[in-house]
Amino acid sequence: MTDIIFTDKQSPASVSSQTTSKTNCPYCGVGCGIEATVENNKVIAVKGNAEHPANLGRLCVKGSSLHETQGFHNRILSPRVYGKNVSWDEATSTVAKHFQDTIAQYGPDSVAFYLSGQLLTEDYYVANKLMKGFIGSANVDTNSRLCMASASAAHKRAFGEDVVAGCYEDLTSADAIFIIGANPAYAHPIVYQRMIKAREENPTRKIVVIDPRKTATAKDADLYLAIKPGSDAYFYNGLLLYLAEQGKLNNDYIAKHCQGFEQALQTAQSQFADIAAVATACDIELSLLLESYQIFAETDNVVTFFSQGINQSSTGVDKGNAIINCHLATGKIGREGAGAFSITGQPNAMGGREVGGLSNQLAAHLYFENSNEIDLVKRFWQAPNIATKEGLKAVELFDAVHSGKIKAIWIMATNPVVSMPNANRIKRALEKCPMVVVSECYENTDTVNYADVVLPASTWGEKQGSVTNSDRTISVHKSMIKAPGEAKNDWQIITDVAHALGFKDAFNYQHPVDIFREHAALSGFENSHPFSYKRDENDVYRVFDISALANISQAEYENFSPIKWPINSANPKGLKRIFTDGIFATKNQKANFIPIIAQLPRKLPGNNQVVMNSGRIRDQWHTMTRTGRVAKLMTHSDEPYIAVNPDDAKRFQLEDKQLAVLSNLGAEFIGRVNITTEQRNGEIFVPIHWNDNFSASARVSALVNPISDYICGQPEFKHSPVNIKPFNSVWSGYLISSQAVNCQTNYWSKIQLEQGHKYLLSDQQELGDDESILANLYPTIDDWLVLKDDQQNVLRIAGFIDNKLHCFFAASTNLDLEFNTRFIEEQLNKTHPIKTRFKLMSGLDSDGKNDVGTMICSCFQIGEKTIKETIESGQCKSVEALGEKLKCGTNCGSCIPELKAFFT
Amino acid sequence: MTNTPSPTADRLTNQFSESVTQLKPLLVIIGNGMATGRLLDEIIKRTPNKYQITVIGKEHFGSYNRIMLSAVLAGDATIDSIMQKPPAWYKEHSINFLSGSLVTYIDKKTKVVELASSAQINYDELIIATGSRTAEIPAKNQDVEGIFNFRDIADTQKIQAFAKQEGSSSKQAIVIGGGLLGLEAAYGLAISGVEVTLVHRNKWLLNRQLDKVSGNMLQSIMAQKKIKFALGHEVASFENTIESNAERKVKSLSGVTLTNGEFISAQMAVIATGITPNKKLAEIANIDFNRAILVNDYMQTSDASISALGECCEHNRATFGLVDPIWGQCITLAERLCNNVKKPFQNAPVPTKLKVSGVQLFSAGDVEVSEGSQCFTLLDKKALIYRKIIVKNGKISGIVLFGDVSSGMAYFELMRQQITVNTMMPELLIGDEFVTTIENEQKVSAA
Ligand SMILES: Cc1cc2nc3c(=O)[nH]c(=O)nc-3n(C[C@H](O)[C@H](O)[C@H](O)COP(=O)(O)OP(=O)(O)OC[C@H]3O[C@@H](n4cnc5c(N)ncnc54)[C@H](O)[C@@H]3O)c2cc1C
Ligand code: SF4
Repeated sequence: MTDIIFTDKQSPASVSSQTTSKTNCPYCGVGCGIEATVENNKVIAVKGNAEHPANLGRLCVKGSSLHETQGFHNRILSPRVYGKNVSWDEATSTVAKHFQDTIAQYGPDSVAFYLSGQLLTEDYYVANKLMKGFIGSANVDTNSRLCMASASAAHKRAFGEDVVAGCYEDLTSADAIFIIGANPAYAHPIVYQRMIKAREENPTRKIVVIDPRKTATAKDADLYLAIKPGSDAYFYNGLLLYLAEQGKLNNDYIAKHCQGFEQALQTAQSQFADIAAVATACDIELSLLLESYQIFAETDNVVTFFSQGINQSSTGVDKGNAIINCHLATGKIGREGAGAFSITGQPNAMGGREVGGLSNQLAAHLYFENSNEIDLVKRFWQAPNIATKEGLKAVELFDAVHSGKIKAIWIMATNPVVSMPNANRIKRALEKCPMVVVSECYENTDTVNYADVVLPASTWGEKQGSVTNSDRTISVHKSMIKAPGEAKNDWQIITDVAHALGFKDAFNYQHPVDIFREHAALSGFENSHPFSYKRDENDVYRVFDISALANISQAEYENFSPIKWPINSANPKGLKRIFTDGIFATKNQKANFIPIIAQLPRKLPGNNQVVMNSGRIRDQWHTMTRTGRVAKLMTHSDEPYIAVNPDDAKRFQLEDKQLAVLSNLGAEFIGRVNITTEQRNGEIFVPIHWNDNFSASARVSALVNPISDYICGQPEFKHSPVNIKPFNSVWSGYLISSQAVNCQTNYWSKIQLEQGHKYLLSDQQELGDDESILANLYPTIDDWLVLKDDQQNVLRIAGFIDNKLHCFFAASTNLDLEFNTRFIEEQLNKTHPIKTRFKLMSGLDSDGKNDVGTMICSCFQIGEKTIKETIESGQCKSVEALGEKLKCGTNCGSCIPELKAFFT
Repeated sequence: MTNTPSPTADRLTNQFSESVTQLKPLLVIIGNGMATGRLLDEIIKRTPNKYQITVIGKEHFGSYNRIMLSAVLAGDATIDSIMQKPPAWYKEHSINFLSGSLVTYIDKKTKVVELASSAQINYDELIIATGSRTAEIPAKNQDVEGIFNFRDIADTQKIQAFAKQEGSSSKQAIVIGGGLLGLEAAYGLAISGVEVTLVHRNKWLLNRQLDKVSGNMLQSIMAQKKIKFALGHEVASFENTIESNAERKVKSLSGVTLTNGEFISAQMAVIATGITPNKKLAEIANIDFNRAILVNDYMQTSDASISALGECCEHNRATFGLVDPIWGQCITLAERLCNNVKKPFQNAPVPTKLKVSGVQLFSAGDVEVSEGSQCFTLLDKKALIYRKIIVKNGKISGIVLFGDVSSGMAYFELMRQQITVNTMMPELLIGDEFVTTIENEQKVSAA
């Protein structure tokens, strides 16, 4: 036996190693490339990837604060069945058993998956394959239904396939961009900045914005048309008319590459006597309308850029086709700087469409209409139970859950309790459903609270897989850090359940690249190239073909360079633009004109109602489960609000900066009134981001009528008649807290801070006069400071734990007070000397110099006051100068429109 | 015996006079307390030679700082250190100083005062500054040894002697009265190791200066200093033991029985329930009086040659218990006597402070709310900090600060000047610096 010898050899120097990976931003459909630096299993820095074609190195404020959303706070760490932590085995078999039993008893259509545009393509592929090929139902839908279904269907009708023909570069080479139903300045900042930069470089380029609301994008437009909500198809039908009248049609192109033009034109003509009638229908001045039409007609390179404003409508598909009609009629499509460009809201909505993750799709741009396509997929998958008919679309799907037809649902990576129309009905549906499985990363999302089985999923930075952005660019997200607890990647979770269901052989994946290869192979499987001029009757063909990647090595996959599909033998390097030669993916290779009867939204407002429009604000993304964590993102607009026209404000007795209540379908939305002429009379705007986790009643979707597009089932989010009235607060105030709490006030709204949370509060009950209003929220605190008056007009409370400020509440019946909470926020969690801590009750630093005003530049935390003072002092005469002096606007640039406004 | 003041060089050189009294007007002051001390300074500052001054004091000392008796009792000061005017000082300033002399009579017709010794002193101008004495309490059996007042050096020395007494193993004292004086007495005794129980009629301490919350806070701080409390009750009777020694029977205090029947054992009691102005001389002399000797705005009594000053006087229905307004009286009187200038005395509320180490309090104006007032409070139970401002008709009508008295004077000024403060609330309550901020901001935005 040898002695153990202790040497004093040093352990390797504890230099924590940093690694940098190229990955992608998970937030919006722009799909920016990122370089992320990781240290100690944490992303510590991100910057734009200069080589990524989507962003060429830039990032918006959401992307550039990605690392701040990191950290495992509030993550789900273990699988749970009925609230009890269990092993993965038990969770997986519980899910499998329930699904199996349900299917055995009620058939495959009694189960459903509800997926998300935030899943990676591989996750999507496996889920879709399991449901449609092996369970035998097409009840797989996704939240992309809420955002992209209309555009997808419009593409298919016009081009024969769901294809975005152009790419981002077209937005910089176009001579005119028509932005309709989109607010890219807020929703797609990087793409927007590219457009603006192109215009700066060549000021003859025009940006025309068509939007009922004067958005930040509209403010910077060369021409802005405040059309009546929902009248978009009137606008484009009118344009078609105008083009015909003015002889601006490209008859050659129409004849050679299109069909159905006459009928489309006649239909448009049948709706309007003349262009003046169009102006009336759109409720805009004729001269403005003509000016915009003229720009379209006389500019060679025109792109129409559209998004949710078009898609989220009861006639979203028609609107999409009305747009495409005009581009076909002028041949302004399929070449550099011209086309109809639909941008997605979600990072991987496109990827989901590619695998066929919508219930009306089968797989890989293959559909149910054609039995050859079903057969093809069946053979490729060797599927025992291939679905043969379309499944239920999102709204119908949750209806079926509600009515009990669907008895088991698996929701992955999405928050339908917040995002679906009539969302309170979704809550009830989930309450009733015998088995709700939720794969999720974060605790206490509104949907997790309704789950029977909770499966902890990995998230951005932890999981690897591919995504496709809005211009068909496929990128791969890297796995850079280890997921916390027992969290697993979604594809693994699904694969495990597939195994438990007895489909081991078909789901034998060890690595996402295995799935990716299969997906790529399917796209090329028996794909007779659509552009070949010789095609057989029975040939199944699709543009979506990435078969050149079917044998990609793991190393290549892990070092994937972004590339636009199709990627096949004909186009091994991908393809920037599609349909360049006027050959389309239809049977006869001609694009279809679709005759459109423009229609207003189906449900019109009653006498005492207003029309609620909804959308994103600049720095938030979706339902805030991720961005709501970052303090600086919340400083820009930190409360749900209701933008109202001054006349409506008068009519409904609403006061600026006070709260108002919207109601519809028995649900309420409480938000702060923002009186603005940017809003048309009779129409209000509300942001979609807030949910039960962030505000008392601000789930817009709960007020949205479940009216969907008759073709694609996408709900009409942009047009809901609702009632509106003042909220009539008795008092208002705020609470700064190091922990999250369940506020009991009639109104509250939560804001993430660096150190904790801020709640803005209002109540219709009397303001109390002691700490009891907080005591039950903080049962462990017994060290309170209270400032009050004896008329219940003023109340301030500070709670301490170990002499550290834990919470601070301030309220007043003077509703006009504006609270400045910066100072007190900074005091949170700090130890305060017991003898002077009462000074905190002022909420102010005694030198009073903490107020920088409303936050304008979220990146550098530069407020309105600071900016004004700097300008007034004469130091800065331009946005650029401000940037040099204060740095505002120099990082993400998304505040530049607001900075410009200081100089006008 | 007629008092003939010793002639001064001054007088002797005055060839026109037969009698010294005719040379310089005779100014006689009865009482040598704090008011007198200050008045002498004010007179000497103005006209050191105008009067022939005589000061007659009952106590055996020059003028001293009575306020500091609390500190003496607490061991923070000595009798020597609080002396302000030793006998030599009077000499230096040619002032006749009769210490240990009690004035018993004033004859305003002949302008003479008479001492207990029957000596008589003429005056041209007479000032009564006899201060006040401990108020009496209605308890039975007060002729017992061991019951003390807390008013002057003699009282203080007696109390101290008891506290330092060797032998008796447990020393217990009752302090009666939970006002400023009682608290300071209790504190001083407790500090010297006596087991003190403070008996106070009201439910909380300093009930004239503090509300219930701050009164209770004060109690909890005093309790930390080992003082016990019997609140809400009065002393019904003193109890005693009888010891016979060679000469006589001695009734020594053994405790008190309260109005609720409770018995508290003690060998000493200090009465500090309040003060009674010493107005007896005025009564005898037939000068107008009410609760105290009535004076006009120039400190003159109903007799033009007689003035009154300090705790023994009453001005516009107010009597006095703190030195601050008395200083104003001294100035008014000195102006009139020396310069013949009529500078009316204006009484102003005075904020209260308590001289107990570790206790900070500040109180002025109303303590409790009244009809139409709005009351702002800030309470930190753990830090024992409490701040309260009562606003009436937009102006401050009352201030109570406990535990932290910062900004007290600023509030006091705002109250005194009757400045409208409602827009400053509640920030003002936290500190006037926050209001400056507000005002500055208003200026900025107005500009
Ligand atoms: C222990 C203690 C603490 C105090 N603390 C404070 C404090 O913190 N702040 C504050 O503002 N005030 C305080 N006071 C009150 C303050 O001392 C008095 O307001 C002040 O002394 C009043 O001055 P005065 O000259 O009117 O009366 P005194 O100072 O009482 O002087 C009157 C003098 O006249 C003498 N005298 C009475 N009758 C006759 C007579 N017939 N013949 C001759 N002489 C006579 C008395 O013996 C006495 O010496 C305190 C008082 C005491 C006892
Ligand atoms: S624009 Fe912003 S949110 Fe969208 S992908 Fe790029 S960095 Fe992310």
